[in-house]
Amino acid sequence: MYYLGVDLGSVSTDLALVDKNHNLVEKIYLKTRGNPIKAIQEGFKILKDKYDEREITAAGTTGSGRMIASAIMGADAVKNEITAHARAALEFDKEVRTIIEIGGQDSKIIIINKGIVTDFAMNTVCAAGTGSFLDRQAERLEIPIEEFGDYALRAGSTVRIAGRCAVFAESDMIHKQQLGYAKEEIIRGLCDALVRNYLNNVGKGKTILPKVLFQGGVAANKGMKAAFEKELGFEIFVPENYSMMGAIGAAIIAGDQVKKTGKTKFRGFKLAENNIFSRSFDCDGCPNRCEVVKIYENDNILGYFGDRCSRWTGKTNEILGLRSG
Amino acid sequence: MKATFPHLGNVYLGVKALFDGLGIDYVIPPQNSDHALNIGTRHSPDEICLPFKIMIGNYMQAVEEGADTVILTGSCGPCRFGEYCELQMNLMKSLGYDLKFIVLDMPKDIGIKELFNRLSIIGSSSKKSRLQKLRAVKTAVQIMHLLDETEALAHYLAGYERNKGQCKSLFHRCRREAMKCSDPQEMLSLIKEYKKRIEYVPVDINKDPVKIAIIGEIYTVIEPYSNFCIEDKLMDYGVSTKRGMTPSWWLKNMALSPLKINSLDIKKASRKYLSLEIGGHARECIGEAILSWKEGFDGAIQIYPLGCMPEIVSKSILPAISRDYDFPIMSLVVDDMTGEAGFITRLEAFIDLLERRRDNVLFGS
Repeated sequence: MYYLGVDLGSVSTDLALVDKNHNLVEKIYLKTRGNPIKAIQEGFKILKDKYDEREITAAGTTGSGRMIASAIMGADAVKNEITAHARAALEFDKEVRTIIEIGGQDSKIIIINKGIVTDFAMNTVCAAGTGSFLDRQAERLEIPIEEFGDYALRAGSTVRIAGRCAVFAESDMIHKQQLGYAKEEIIRGLCDALVRNYLNNVGKGKTILPKVLFQGGVAANKGMKAAFEKELGFEIFVPENYSMMGAIGAAIIAGDQVKKTGKTKFRGFKLAENNIFSRSFDCDGCPNRCEVVKIYENDNILGYFGDRCSRWTGKTNEILGLRSG
Repeated sequence: MKATFPHLGNVYLGVKALFDGLGIDYVIPPQNSDHALNIGTRHSPDEICLPFKIMIGNYMQAVEEGADTVILTGSCGPCRFGEYCELQMNLMKSLGYDLKFIVLDMPKDIGIKELFNRLSIIGSSSKKSRLQKLRAVKTAVQIMHLLDETEALAHYLAGYERNKGQCKSLFHRCRREAMKCSDPQEMLSLIKEYKKRIEYVPVDINKDPVKIAIIGEIYTVIEPYSNFCIEDKLMDYGVSTKRGMTPSWWLKNMALSPLKINSLDIKKASRKYLSLEIGGHARECIGEAILSWKEGFDGAIQIYPLGCMPEIVSKSILPAISRDYDFPIMSLVVDDMTGEAGFITRLEAFIDLLERRRDNVLFGS
């Protein structure tokens, strides 16, 4: 008996299986590469070889692609990333007060008091400091992203880099590079700048109390962890499955949901072989002219979304499991 | 004269009734859409706030349909809205449009004589008698009040309705039907009829829905296009909402402000945190946050366009209110970004937060 959680993010697609005591038994990490449907199908192919679909008694989705994921796999819970991350973090450690989550496209701060979320914030119009930016800089400096953090830790001193805007941070870095600073020092400077940017923008007006958990893909970067600790003045913790927390949270929430409804909506692993594709069209019902996406499985329509008035989605709320959690 | 005006929520219905009653030729710009925003963004200064851009889109689309005069309310207030009319006049002129602007400012700014002067330009193109004109204004004001009441009722009852989506679809049908009326009296009785129908929507009084107050900058809270139809979305989620900022509130506030007896409850509530008028509706935002806490709401959502000065001030005050009253408040900034994924995530997470808080208070955890 397992609960399945799928975190369909902008950069990565994570699948997690937890048992009924909420222990992680299987984790799959895939790159989304702009094709969310294929990423899920790939993940299901791997699961299919190891598990029987009848063993999956609950399924939940989260991440920016949670709606499409739910439409194609059938989910008991479709939850936003903030709730999912908080749920998984509380499972990991009941004492947690602050969650720092930095993913591919966005960063979040979640404040928890006595086991419930009391406040949260997300980056608004700026993506500086998120995983995609670090990825790009690693590529530019020709350093594997996995070693990025080690470079930062090796630096003897730091270089001041402007962290407010990703574009200017990059020109600042290039400038410092041309002045002859070592790669290590520049990378450390970058980590410091990103942490400053995070605390000033996302963490603005929030009191960050220990114990702090650092989650999301960027938590792999030891340089970022060290920079946070220096800035905050206390130790922060990176959970073992830092990159899977969203998927784990979705799985646990789905498990709770099925306990209420008694039956899962999960449609099984068979979708791995089916031909699933989407078509979009401009709705001509009103001047909004929403771009509506239609999802097909072979010849059947699985669901619609993207319209503002629910002229289309209204028909398929069942499939999409809107707010079923 | 073929008059037009920028969109603001349901104001177009009130103005339609007014012009129909006065017998003045008019163009209602097409409903706000990505297309209107694209036109506006292309021609507006980059740093200007979102309402300006959408309004420029409205004008240009209306001109295509033959409009030659824009009727706009003004304010010589400290916020950028005070400069909208001048900026827009210049902008439209430099783009080669021969468009006349009639700006209705407050008497204290332009003098009562000038206001009557401007009103008489509109009035002179109507062939109706003075009595008929007064009657047309009265009916239009009645319609605006009734529409706002009906909308507020639909937003509130959406949390209690037995058949999901009934309030929302009734209100949208009301708007569509009202648009078809050519006679103001007919529109008035139609809206009355719909209000009654929404009043009689089957509700479950035992339900205790999450209740959220919508506060913030007046344009972005009233105009659904600019805030990703947040109130419709909250209705879908079964949340009861309340919004103090409405066109009819604005009318009343304007009419009473020379006597300084406007919005006394808001002024009183906000005094502790913001005792001055700083432009825009910052004081109203603060006051409403506190009033909605007093009325037992679970939380509030503040919406404002990027770069809105008064709301930036209130945004930095809201965390103090949140802390002092233990009242969650979320701020949402809107700009010309049309991707709504991040927006929905925040909205859902906020509702989750309010629900969980409540469970915790009721049962402990």
